[in-house]
Amino acid sequence: MTHKDRWLLWLFLAPTLLLIAVFLYYPMIGTVFESFRDTSFINPTPRFVGFEIYEKILASRDFHEILRNSIIWTLGVVILQNLLGFAAAVLLNQGLPMQGVLRAVVLMPFILPGVVTAILWRFMYDPQLGLINSLMMRFGFFEDGAAWLASSSTAMAAVIFVAIWKGFPFSMLIYLAALQNVDQSQVEAATLDGAGPVRRLFDVTIPAIKDVILVNIVLTLILTFNYFDIVWVLTRGGPQNATHIFPTKIFETGFGQFRFGEAATYGVFSIIVLAIFVALYVIVQKSASNRRPVA
Amino acid sequence: MKHTATTRFGLAALQIVLALFVLLPFFWMISVSLKPATEPFAIPARLWPTAPTLENYVTAFRPEFRTYFMNSIIVSGASVAITVTLALLAAYSFSRGKLIALTVLMGAVVIAQMFPHSAIIIPIYKMMRLADLLNTYTSLIIAYVSVTLPVAIWMLRGFLIKLPVSLEEAASIDGAGPVRVFWDIVVPLARPGVIATAVYVLIVTWQEFLFALSFTSTKEMRTLPVGLNDFIGQYGIRYGELMASSVMVSVPVIAIFFFLQRYLVAGLTAGAVKG
Amino acid sequence: MKFFKHTAIAAGLLLSTSMAYAQDVTLQFWDNQQTESGLSGFQKAAVDRFMAENPSIKIEVTTVPYPEYQQRLLTAVQGGNPPDIATLDQIWVGAFAQAGAVEDLTEEAKAAGLTRDQFFGGAWDSAVFNGGLYGIPFNVDVWQFSFYNKALLDAAGVDPESLKTFDGLKQAAEKMTGDGKFGVGLFGHKGEDTVVVVNSFIFSNGGKVLAEDGSCALDEAPAVEALSYLQDLSKFAPEGILNASSGDMRELFLNGSLAIEFWPALEQPTLQKSNIDWGFVNGTAPEGKTAIGTYGGWNLAVFQSSKNKEAAWKFVEFLVREDVNGDVVDLLPANKAAAGPFLAKNRDGADRIMSHLDNAAPRPLSARYLEIADLQMRLYQDVFSGKDVASSAAEACKAIDALN
Repeated sequence: MTHKDRWLLWLFLAPTLLLIAVFLYYPMIGTVFESFRDTSFINPTPRFVGFEIYEKILASRDFHEILRNSIIWTLGVVILQNLLGFAAAVLLNQGLPMQGVLRAVVLMPFILPGVVTAILWRFMYDPQLGLINSLMMRFGFFEDGAAWLASSSTAMAAVIFVAIWKGFPFSMLIYLAALQNVDQSQVEAATLDGAGPVRRLFDVTIPAIKDVILVNIVLTLILTFNYFDIVWVLTRGGPQNATHIFPTKIFETGFGQFRFGEAATYGVFSIIVLAIFVALYVIVQKSASNRRPVA
Repeated sequence: MKHTATTRFGLAALQIVLALFVLLPFFWMISVSLKPATEPFAIPARLWPTAPTLENYVTAFRPEFRTYFMNSIIVSGASVAITVTLALLAAYSFSRGKLIALTVLMGAVVIAQMFPHSAIIIPIYKMMRLADLLNTYTSLIIAYVSVTLPVAIWMLRGFLIKLPVSLEEAASIDGAGPVRVFWDIVVPLARPGVIATAVYVLIVTWQEFLFALSFTSTKEMRTLPVGLNDFIGQYGIRYGELMASSVMVSVPVIAIFFFLQRYLVAGLTAGAVKG
Repeated sequence: MKFFKHTAIAAGLLLSTSMAYAQDVTLQFWDNQQTESGLSGFQKAAVDRFMAENPSIKIEVTTVPYPEYQQRLLTAVQGGNPPDIATLDQIWVGAFAQAGAVEDLTEEAKAAGLTRDQFFGGAWDSAVFNGGLYGIPFNVDVWQFSFYNKALLDAAGVDPESLKTFDGLKQAAEKMTGDGKFGVGLFGHKGEDTVVVVNSFIFSNGGKVLAEDGSCALDEAPAVEALSYLQDLSKFAPEGILNASSGDMRELFLNGSLAIEFWPALEQPTLQKSNIDWGFVNGTAPEGKTAIGTYGGWNLAVFQSSKNKEAAWKFVEFLVREDVNGDVVDLLPANKAAAGPFLAKNRDGADRIMSHLDNAAPRPLSARYLEIADLQMRLYQDVFSGKDVASSAAEACKAIDALN
């Protein structure tokens, strides 16, 4: 693109920038303003309060629980979903029979609307009527049903499991595509050098697709952090806040309790935390790849 | 790839485990959808109803359901087409332009994808109302395009950066104008990235719930994820019909993916997401 | 002649425009789809009847599934686009009134001769906020009736009457727990049904959520006692009540594994269709006292922003009329005169239901009720998870009092 073609560049950008400015930045800036004013449904005339709501939230027990939950939830889902997605991609890239059918089958959870997924799994988890306990009892894992979603100690794990079930096909799809791009001559060269399948995976395949891994992880990070439907329908953030994360808290505070100022403040916190997440990951990733230059 | 018989056996076993993990909930979904409303749930759960029936499908396949389905297809389809087009244009600019302003703007785009939807929905609702767009496809499409654009741009930009610029330069030297270069060189090469992005946008919009809930008010405009709420009352869920609807939602989409997956993976592959 | 002609034309014009105007009145009415069955058929008939009686007014009904009703309504009000009339949950009235979103209907009610004694008192009171009347009771019910499975009670030799007392209920629940059966269907998920059931135990024990002066009363002896009782009782409930709702308990009751479930009278149509041989008693109270239930229900509100408040009021008046109210609700008609025939036709034990309704208490009438309820839910979950009751209640009260 030459210097005089610059007009085209801006022409291409114009509609996008306009949409993002009007429908994302303008409302978000409004939300930030809202967080400095004590607004709620029942108190429509706003009063400027500075950082008062921020201080109140930072001092609350809720905030710390939600921060902790959001970190566990995001890390749990992102790590496991990518591991499983990658493993499934490797498995479905071996040229075994039924591979084509399986690739389509594995995509199924992915297209089920989140609300339906959550209702289905809430029922699967039901301590008395659910399929999971029924199977576990049948296979003799335990005598009585366990209440996966109703105990503070297992609820988060149970919710993460559902998110992975639903989310891993997306990661798999992208890894699958990347795997098919790995230069087969390199793999064969490694084989001739006597590398086993595990060595080949770590020395050739993974380095070759590291950019895809980065993109995939950042993408799932953002999507997971802001994911709402599954958690809301499964537990509404309960029991006792055990699964409350930023999106459910924002929704509950704003739409459930009509406290807009506080919901807005949680929204701002949520962006800050997510930005830190992404930044940390990118930094770690960069420094790791600097330390170990890959083939 | 060649494998020994033992390895093949092991891998096949793993495939079965994977299939079970994915399919078990669907099996349960179908089982519940076939249970007559009068048959109570058993303890421990029965894998299959004693007297399976299709009555839930009959009640669930109402005219509303078909409307919701069409609405979802229209809204998702339009959003995918518009988002991918706009994102490709924008990503091209971001990947080829060398201005500091562009770097700053790209940063702004990346940040925009982090905004939580529930925090921005009421201001957007107000705008839609001012524009008299509430309860229209347009309002949903605009919202979906806006919220999916940042990630779409980000995906496509990562893709375009890796395309060799030499081809474009060569075409330029041959006298092709910038629009021709984009259309004849960049667009065909970008196809795999476009497919990946389209899949992402499709998935997000196909199941989007919050905007669809807020911007539509009549049954005629609801999309599927919201429409399925019809089966959820204040004090109970009509599991049978809900699951029957879910099966009906899933089957066509699965069929589409089944036929497309070859192209999908191939499309993603063609020299594309390469590191 | 000329003059006459002109006046005639002017009059004709006037008449036609006013007629055109009159025909133009279209009202948006939003209603929550309360039960899974939906009422749309009956409601449609009633709406048609109204439009036949008032040809100048057209009603557009939007039925919104319950899970999305609150958000949809809130978004619409905030976005400046609410309907003309909507049913409001009793517990939202305070907030909507304080926000200035709904009309004070005191004058209209007076003019139409609608008074408190024509309705269930608690339902009427739930629409009163700061001295104004911000809605007319539409439908009503009471949490909770103890529905029991006759076969399970008989097998354990339990007298249904014994379920009416705290001790009796506990002993019965204990006896009937085991062998894959569950004694009592307590539930404690994050939902309003949890709040109303626990409230009714507190009310019946002489306790309150908020004292007269608006301060939290959950840490006072009667409330703490009732909560401790429920903590004990929860041992005989199915596993996992912290994520279980009244709907989950219903499934267990319907498959015959749960002996007692807590529901409003709304549950009866479901039970009538089931294979379970059932009966019910009116809630649970300490020995010698009468159980006090918690009111639930919906009021009809006219929105401030409506351009046709007069027509909207006409429709509200129509919906609560004695000969209409019973046809358009799935809970019980809030109009007492309509409730009698409705109960006789649709419910078993009409007299007992009536007395439980007359005896019930409303939830706190506060503009910040939803925040209070959230803290209550947290407290009740703490109680059900086995935490120390007194200190949890003290903590909850500190948080509730801090709201003001």
